[in-house]
Amino acid sequence: MIFLLFLPSLLLLVVVFLLPLFRYSWLSFHADSVVTGLIAIPNGVANWVRLSLDQRYWQALGQTFRFAVVSVSFELILALSIALLLDQRWRGRNAVRAIALIPWALPTTVMALGWRWILNTPYGPIDRLTNLIGIGSLNILGEPGLAWLATVLADVWKTTPFAALILLAGLQTIPSDLYEALRLEGANSLSSLRRITLPLLRPYVLLALLFRLAQAFGVFDLIQVLTGGGPAGSTESVALYAYINALRFLDFGYSATIIISSFIFICFACLICWFLIKVLFTPQRSFLKKVS
Amino acid sequence: MRRIIILKRSLASLLAILVCIVTVNLAEANEIESISFLFPAPYAEATRDLVQQFNRENRGKIKLSVIRGPFATEAMSDLAISSLILGKAPFDGLLMDVTWLPKYAATGWVEPLESYFDQDDVNSLAVGAREGNSYENHLYRWPLVADMGLLYWRTDLMKEPPKTPEELILISKSLQKNNMVDWGYVWQGRQYEGLSCVYLEMIEGFGGYWFKTNDNKIGLDQAAGVEAASWLQSLIKEGVSPQAVTNFAEQEALQSFRAGDSAFMRNWPYAWAELQQADSSVRGKVGVTTMVANPGYSTATNGSWGLTVLSGSSHIDAAVKAIRFLTSDESQKQLFLKYGYTPTKQSIFDDPFLLKEAPIISELGRALKVTKPRPETPLYAQISDVLQRQLSGILTVEQTPGNGMVHATRNTEQILISAGEQR
Repeated sequence: MIFLLFLPSLLLLVVVFLLPLFRYSWLSFHADSVVTGLIAIPNGVANWVRLSLDQRYWQALGQTFRFAVVSVSFELILALSIALLLDQRWRGRNAVRAIALIPWALPTTVMALGWRWILNTPYGPIDRLTNLIGIGSLNILGEPGLAWLATVLADVWKTTPFAALILLAGLQTIPSDLYEALRLEGANSLSSLRRITLPLLRPYVLLALLFRLAQAFGVFDLIQVLTGGGPAGSTESVALYAYINALRFLDFGYSATIIISSFIFICFACLICWFLIKVLFTPQRSFLKKVS
Repeated sequence: MRRIIILKRSLASLLAILVCIVTVNLAEANEIESISFLFPAPYAEATRDLVQQFNRENRGKIKLSVIRGPFATEAMSDLAISSLILGKAPFDGLLMDVTWLPKYAATGWVEPLESYFDQDDVNSLAVGAREGNSYENHLYRWPLVADMGLLYWRTDLMKEPPKTPEELILISKSLQKNNMVDWGYVWQGRQYEGLSCVYLEMIEGFGGYWFKTNDNKIGLDQAAGVEAASWLQSLIKEGVSPQAVTNFAEQEALQSFRAGDSAFMRNWPYAWAELQQADSSVRGKVGVTTMVANPGYSTATNGSWGLTVLSGSSHIDAAVKAIRFLTSDESQKQLFLKYGYTPTKQSIFDDPFLLKEAPIISELGRALKVTKPRPETPLYAQISDVLQRQLSGILTVEQTPGNGMVHATRNTEQILISAGEQR
């Protein structure tokens, strides 16, 4: 009978997750494009062979990984400091907590458009600033390396509050008597961070990391609006490439192949992360053990 | 008492049913055909008066409504396609960019229109406006607005506009040297469709070609193709164009030219009206001509917009009627005078009143005569995409023009091969 209770959520999962997954796996072994008149014709592993030889795909995949790793690392470090700050008791804390959430509450397209204008050369404020302090025009969105940095910056700005929120929730579950006990033993705040906060925060860090990693790996709207994948394809993500293949090139078979392959990659990435976190944050030598 | 209430209630419901039947019958008796078209936002706004007029004239018979789509061409295409792949589209017609047609025709999304428009209709179009409406011998699209790349120049800075690529660089450099302008030439260098349009004008202008659909020949890595890419790169290298042009679309180029910062601009005809507004620094100081090129090779990229009827529409006759109205001489005149949209009918280019009232029309007519289409194939989006990528690499100086164009050629071949395998 207990089965009936989780039937609705199971049904939801099947409809929004498993069905598309099966459909796309199936489609990745078919030619279904403008050339075939949008009719799916089995073509074996042709899509997969094409994918393995597609330089642009590998470039986009590499860029997406780099983007995800760099931006999520920055986000977690920043989010941890923000969460620690917002967890302390000080005047105006609640107001700051609310304000800190604003970037995350903004729709991505809106904030990406905002960044596009801020970074605009020669009419944006950043360009004015760099000219004022004598660096000259940097042409941020027109230069491959800088444009990539801009996408990371915009993503960090936008999603750090999300990670901070999860970590803050985690901080509030840590009982304060643990800290008091450690203080009685004469430890300073740095060691209490190392011995209590971080180990106990582990599940929350893992949660934030996995959420953010999955999102960053699938980054689409930010890049679509901010750079459109350019210049010279230097900011193109896998999701954007899949989207372009489906909606602009009308090549649904190949688009499905890209999506399924990136799904496999992200599963691996998440597994590795989960494993790393487990090793890094093992509470063996921590204070907890002593207490218990 | 109770019985009376029941009686009253059943009478009331009987009456309600009767009213329903009568209204349904009445509605059927004078059925109004509701048709809807999806337009990009600027066109939806420009045609608002015309649509109202059409609905007044056809009151009780046809009700045309225009759905306002996004501003950018690519966003518009994404919206249209995502509603079409779901099956029945929620509209009867679509205002379509010239490059989309082969794709839409190959997928069977648009209705052939040759039984609605005859040879006389086609002959009434200006020669440049007859292109890009057909695919594999079927007419699918009727042009609403002719659109082509133009070179805007400053009449207060020079007597004559440059004719050749070298002249453009020379004039720019001397103006920049004398501090008359910050920049010589602004154009569309961002990695997007506009860059392909800019490039097509240059490769044709140097006497080459991009892609021949009849025999799948690619001209990108030949002399003119490399020369065109080198020329664009040299504009940035030599400081004639700002470095930031690598992230410029139409809007950014217009912004720079409108502020009086540049001597030349490549843009579409819509920019003319923008430059004549009260707050424009170059109002009354702007001329329009065809793109610089080697003598005899001047080319304007065809960017026309046309009306199509989607397959599966059950109101084709009404939709064609609306198309005829929106593209009539009167409508085109109105669109031209109010919004600067280039007409498609030859008679309007010969209209003595317009020639006197808005002399720019003769320049537009001249440019329309040298328009060239971008490659007319359902694979256009892919082919243009690889070109944009390589060009963007060349402009941001990551890539030499020769190498970039060889890559672009090879990638284009790859697309053709994998499409051939699917066929």
